[in-house]
Amino acid sequence: MTIHRWTWQSKLTFALAAVVLLLLALVPGFASGGVIERLTVLFIYVILAAMWNALAGYGGLVSIGNQLFFGLGAYMTIRLADAGINPFAAMALGAGIVAGLSWLLSLFMLHLRAGEFAIGMWVLASIAHLCVNLDPLIQGETGTSLISLNAYAIDARRVLIFWAALIGMVGLLALLFAVLRTPSGLAMQAIRDNEEAADSVGVNPMRTKRLFFVLAGFGTAVAGALWLAQVSAFQPKTYFSVQWTAYMIFMVLVGGLGRFEGAILGALIFFAAETWFADTGVWYLVGLGAVAMLFSLFLPKGLWGWVETRTHISLMPLGYRVQFDTQSEQGR
Amino acid sequence: MTEIKMNRRQFSGILASSTLLLSARGALADDAGAIRIGFVSPRTGPLAGFGKTDGYVLEQVRAALSGGIEVAGKTYAVEILDRDTQSDPARAAQLAKELINEGIDLMLAVSTPEVINPVSDACEAAGVPCLSTVMPWEAWYFGRGAKPGEPSPFKWTYHFGFGVGEIFKTYSSTWSQIETNKKVGVMYPNDADGNAVRAVLAPQLEAAGYTIIDPGAYETGTTDYSTQIALFKAEGVEIINSFPIPPDFAAFWRQAAQQGLTRQVKIMQTAKTGLFPSEMEAMGSLAEGMASAAYWHRDFPYTSPVTGQTGHELAAGWEATSGEQWTQQLGATLSLLDAGIEALRAASDPHSKEALRDAIATLNVETIGGQVDFTSGPVPNVASGPILGSQWVKAKDGPFDLDYVLVNNATDPNVPITAELTPYNE
Repeated sequence: MTIHRWTWQSKLTFALAAVVLLLLALVPGFASGGVIERLTVLFIYVILAAMWNALAGYGGLVSIGNQLFFGLGAYMTIRLADAGINPFAAMALGAGIVAGLSWLLSLFMLHLRAGEFAIGMWVLASIAHLCVNLDPLIQGETGTSLISLNAYAIDARRVLIFWAALIGMVGLLALLFAVLRTPSGLAMQAIRDNEEAADSVGVNPMRTKRLFFVLAGFGTAVAGALWLAQVSAFQPKTYFSVQWTAYMIFMVLVGGLGRFEGAILGALIFFAAETWFADTGVWYLVGLGAVAMLFSLFLPKGLWGWVETRTHISLMPLGYRVQFDTQSEQGR
Repeated sequence: MTEIKMNRRQFSGILASSTLLLSARGALADDAGAIRIGFVSPRTGPLAGFGKTDGYVLEQVRAALSGGIEVAGKTYAVEILDRDTQSDPARAAQLAKELINEGIDLMLAVSTPEVINPVSDACEAAGVPCLSTVMPWEAWYFGRGAKPGEPSPFKWTYHFGFGVGEIFKTYSSTWSQIETNKKVGVMYPNDADGNAVRAVLAPQLEAAGYTIIDPGAYETGTTDYSTQIALFKAEGVEIINSFPIPPDFAAFWRQAAQQGLTRQVKIMQTAKTGLFPSEMEAMGSLAEGMASAAYWHRDFPYTSPVTGQTGHELAAGWEATSGEQWTQQLGATLSLLDAGIEALRAASDPHSKEALRDAIATLNVETIGGQVDFTSGPVPNVASGPILGSQWVKAKDGPFDLDYVLVNNATDPNVPITAELTPYNE
């Protein structure tokens, strides 16, 4: 009997991922502006899905108010850039401030359970939306624009935003992967399964949940700042819209709740659906809702969950696998 | 199924004519690549009232441009790619990027900050010339982060149309047509338009002798207006000026009617709402006598350089095609297309972004909406336009309940006036 973390598939995946990332980093050298911009959007979707998955999939903290972090990330960037800070520095700094804010929020939000937490997050997002509207710089629902980016040449700006999004995505995924492999990650999954039981075996639920809450707040704020950079226009209603969380839920439900690969797969599917069907207007949204519903009814573990149970493949090794010499079994 | 019978002569005739058509198209395209124009407007969703007539106007323009346009001695085919934002600013930004990636030479954006601002920002980011109209230029210029007194931060985007200065001129000269106590109750929401009029228009009105009763900014989407109504009743206001979105206005004015405020009001002056007949019909008898402001009217004495239509021809064409009443958006949308096509005609090379941008920056042409002059705007990148005093009155004849009449032409004296402002309660 042997216990191991890495399988040949996961080693291959990491090697492949490294190659893909290297290729992606070189994309601006040969791709058109349109391709660069669409890929930037894809990276942002991956971040959004991974961060919502970190909260809900691993921590059981189902939030329908993650647009709170998304909107605040963009708002902080606008505010800091208006104060004369370089827009890219403002994006990073803004996300850092939102991480600090989410630590403060965690002091009381994490005492709420399940449905209370979900609705509480939505309430917070709405409050933040109203507060942002009161800022004279934002001018209520009309909003403003991140015009300091206009100082960059058009091509340089597109490539810089692309790299910022790529670095943001890779950095956040790596951070999440690392955190999930620490004892805190294990503790978080124990809390998701049964908080009282986890508490009784010595897990500190509050500390662990807080870590994930702040991580998700930071990551989603990065996504908000990146979205702002690629569209320039900041309109509070758009950024604090619950549709962002709906997209996150779609990506994670379809990809695979609580599966690291699932969030990425979900983001890819959502991105493809948007590319092909967004022109159909209302029916596109109806279709998204219907697909999400069908998945939660018939494939509750999402696509990746289905692949995983059928093939026993784990590309991103988070747990340990026990392999008996006589017959092949697996456990997570 | 009926069989289509065709003899050889007919067949070869069709073949020859279609070949001819194809080669004509080919000649146009070969001569010089077609000019592609992106056109973004809200056709569905809450702002659909603005985009309702765009399909018809585009049809007229496409027909007029089917032979291409001549630029610097060469004939180019013109292709207009129109897109619907579904009234969603995020979608507007996305569509603008897609159009830019499809290789458009010129972007046109029309109606409200929710469409124009994100599209303008996308064009600014990609270095594509963009022309827009129908929103106060202050909310476009300062709203996107330009600072007063500093050089313009915009290199690629241009806007024409009315501003707060024109609104003041129209209001002050329209309101003086009726005897009132000059007490004005204002309903300015917390958005770019609301904040701009509170900061600029209200002080100008006070300087002109009006007393402003301002209950403070309200958030868009408010459903209970009893505090404001009580204040207006206590102060005895006879003029009300509001800048709400349509659903907010319907809520406010119905409550005002229930609580007896409408009886004391002599002038109900509204902006942003009350532009289109369909909105007004939904208000029932409360709509009669409401004062509005028009950025276009079928009585405008101008002709479209693109389609050759006059205001009345354009309006009558729409009514004949759709069976619905004409709206001021018809002329506004056509004026944008007029200005865009004229800029292309003036450019030294329509496929050069810089050349086209320079042509827009020095544009000075007459459109169906009046003169568009970028050489003497209030700020760089902006050309000012008129907004005329108007009123909804009970129609004397015709198929529609209400008639939209012009009562003041202070911002464009070329436009004929057909009526005087009448008090709201008459």
